Amino acid sequence: MKHTYTPAQIIANFLKWILLLSLLAVALLPLLWLLISSLRTNLELQTNPFGWPKDMQWVNYAKALAMASLPRLLLNSAVVAASSVILNSAVTAMASFILARERFRGRDVLYTLFTAGVLVPVISFMVPYFSLITKSGLYNTLLALVLVYTAVNIPVSIFLVTAFMKSIPKELEEASVIDGCGFFKRFSVIILPLSRSGLVTAATFCFIYSWNEFLMAMLLTSSIESRTIQLGIKFFTSQFITDYASMYAAVVITIIPSIVGYVFLHDKIIGGLTAGAVKG
Amino acid sequence: MLKKSRLLAALLMLCLVFPLVAQGQVESAPAKEIELRWASIWVGNDSKAPAVEALVAEYNAKNAGKIKVVIEPQPDYNAYEQKVRTSLAAGQAPADIFTIKFNPTTATFYQSNLLMDFAKVMDASWKQTFDAGSLEQSTVDGMLKSLPMETAILPIWYNMDAFKKTGITELPTTLDGMFAAFDKLKAAGITPTSQMTGDTNAWTSMIWFSHFAVSLGGTNVWEKSFTDPAFVEAAKLTKRMITEYSTSDAVGLGAGGSGGHFLAGRTAVFSNGPWYAGRADLAATPFFNSIKIAGLPAAGSTKDFMISRLQANICAASSKDKAREAAIVDFLKFLTSAPSISKIAETSGAMFAIKTDYRPTKALQKQFYDVAVAAKTTAFDLEAALGAEVTLEFAQQLGALALGRISAEEFCALVDRKIER
Repeated sequence: MKHTYTPAQIIANFLKWILLLSLLAVALLPLLWLLISSLRTNLELQTNPFGWPKDMQWVNYAKALAMASLPRLLLNSAVVAASSVILNSAVTAMASFILARERFRGRDVLYTLFTAGVLVPVISFMVPYFSLITKSGLYNTLLALVLVYTAVNIPVSIFLVTAFMKSIPKELEEASVIDGCGFFKRFSVIILPLSRSGLVTAATFCFIYSWNEFLMAMLLTSSIESRTIQLGIKFFTSQFITDYASMYAAVVITIIPSIVGYVFLHDKIIGGLTAGAVKG
Repeated sequence: MLKKSRLLAALLMLCLVFPLVAQGQVESAPAKEIELRWASIWVGNDSKAPAVEALVAEYNAKNAGKIKVVIEPQPDYNAYEQKVRTSLAAGQAPADIFTIKFNPTTATFYQSNLLMDFAKVMDASWKQTFDAGSLEQSTVDGMLKSLPMETAILPIWYNMDAFKKTGITELPTTLDGMFAAFDKLKAAGITPTSQMTGDTNAWTSMIWFSHFAVSLGGTNVWEKSFTDPAFVEAAKLTKRMITEYSTSDAVGLGAGGSGGHFLAGRTAVFSNGPWYAGRADLAATPFFNSIKIAGLPAAGSTKDFMISRLQANICAASSKDKAREAAIVDFLKFLTSAPSISKIAETSGAMFAIKTDYRPTKALQKQFYDVAVAAKTTAFDLEAALGAEVTLEFAQQLGALALGRISAEEFCALVDRKIER
C-alpha cells in the first residue's frame, strides 16, 4: 500500500533532511578542505584558502614522506598505539572486573580514585611524568610513551569497562561457579568475552589518544628513533614559517590509520557505547 | 582455557618488549668521546636548518673521537618552550645546549643553577665577537646564562607597486602624510595594511603598536607603566589602523592570514622580521621587487629608531664535569665564530648578534641590513620587552579594543595588570 504523506509530514521530513545534510556537511567539509588543501601550493593557500588547486601538487605528499621521516614515525606511532592499547586493555579488564564484580571494603573509594583522573588535565602531569620517566632511565624511548599513554587512559577506560561489566547479569557468573569455575575462570571465560564491546570502546579511545597525542611525545622524546607521527607533522612548522601544503599532506597520511581502524571497528564501538545505555 | 591465558600473558609481554626492540639502536661511542645533545629549533622547515646541520657535521668531523654534537630536533616552537619550562621545573636541563627566546619570562631561567653562566667562562676574544648591546641585554644581575645568537629588526614592509597606483612614489614622512596615503589606497580599492589580533601575540599589530609606543614614549618606554599616555595614544593609533585601514577580518586573524593578505596583494603595508624575506611564495609575487623596508613615520618625538629583538639565545647545561663544560664552550665558540655565522646568514637571511663582514646579496635581505645600520638606535618590541604573558593579554584585549568594547585607557589598564613589577 502506497503511503501518503500529509503536508506537515513532508515539511518535517524536509527539515529533517536539511538538518542531517547540514550536520553531514559540518562533519565532512573540513576533511574535504584538508584533502584539497594538501594538493595546493602554499601561495594558493595563503591567497585563497578555499579555492581549488590550479595544478594538483602531488609533490606535497612526496615532501611529507621524505622530509619528516614519516614512514619511521608512522611505525613508531603504530608500535606505541598498539602497545598502549594492549597494555591498557589488560590492566583495565582486570581492574574493572574487580571493581564491577567483587564486593570488598573501599571498592567505591577505589573506583572513585581511579576514575577521578578523568577530571585532571593531562598538562598537570607533565612535571611528575617527566621526572618519573627521566629518573627511571626511560627518556627518549618508546616504552616511556607506552607507559604514559596507558596510564593516562586508565581512568576513562575503567569508567567505561566497569560500567559495562556491571551490566552483565550476575546469574551468568553464579551458574559458572556452580559448574566449577574459579576466580580466574570467571574473569577469563565468562566476564571478559561478554565485555568485548566495552573493551573495544575503551581500546578505541586509547588508540585515538595514543595516535594523536603530541605534548607528552614532545616532552619525553628527543630523537627520530622514538618520536611519533604527530611530531613529524610539526616538522613543517618552523618558528616563523609553516609549509602548510606539505603539513596538510602529512596530516592526511596520519589520519588514514584512524579512519581504517574506525571502519573496521565502528559497529563494536557504537555497540559498546550504546550497550550500557539500554541495560539496567 | 590455559591456551587463552597463555596467549594473554604472551601479548602482555610482547607489548612490553616490542617497544624496546623497535626502538632505534644507539650508536656505540668510544669511551672517551663526549656526546653533547643540542635541542635545536633550527630543524625541519627552518631556513637555518641546512647550514646548522652542515656546521655540526663539520665540527663532529674535526673532533672525531673527542666530542660529538647530536642535534635533537624540536619541531614545534611553542611545545619546545613548554618542554624547556617543564624540564627546568623538574630540576633538569632540557639538553646540553638549547635555545630560548630571551624576554622577561625566560629571563627567570637565570635563577636556575642548571644553566651555565657564560660570564665565568667567556674570555675577552670570544666576548669581542658579540655585539656589545646584545650581550648586555642578555645579562641579568651580572649573569650571562644565555648567549645572544639570532637577532631581528621588525620594520614595516611597503608594496610600492600598490602605492604607485595611487600616484605615490615616495614613502610618507609624517603620520598625517601616512594617513593621507592610506586614504588614497582605500579610494583605489586597496586595503592599506595587514593587521591582526589573533594568535598569542597579535604579531603584526603588536609590531605597529611597538613602533608607535617607542616613538611616543622613547626607547625606554617599556620601563613605564602601561597606563602611561604614550601607550594610550599608541593604542588609539593601533585601533585606528585596525578599524579604518585594515581588512575586515583583522579581529581574530592570525599571522598566516595577515601575511596571506599581503602576499595576495590585497594589502599594501605589512610588518614582519627578516625571516619572511626568504619565502618562496613571497618571491613569486609580482610586486616582490618593489617591496621597500623602512620604519613608520614618527608618531612622537623619538625618530630614526628601529624595533628589534633578541630572537634566539643559546643556553647550556651547567656541569660539574670540567671536560664536558669545556666541550660545550668549545662547540659554542665554533658555532658563534664569524665564519660559522656567515654560513648560516648566507643561506637563511637571518640576522645575528655576532659581528661578521657578511652582507646579503639578495636585494630584500640587504634592505634589512641597511635599515638596521641606518637606525640611530633600537628598542625592543612589546613581546621582547614585557614577556609572553603580557603580550598574550595585549592580543586578547586588542580585539576588544578594536570592536569598541573597551576604551584605549581601559585596554592599557588591563594590560598593565599583567606586568609584574
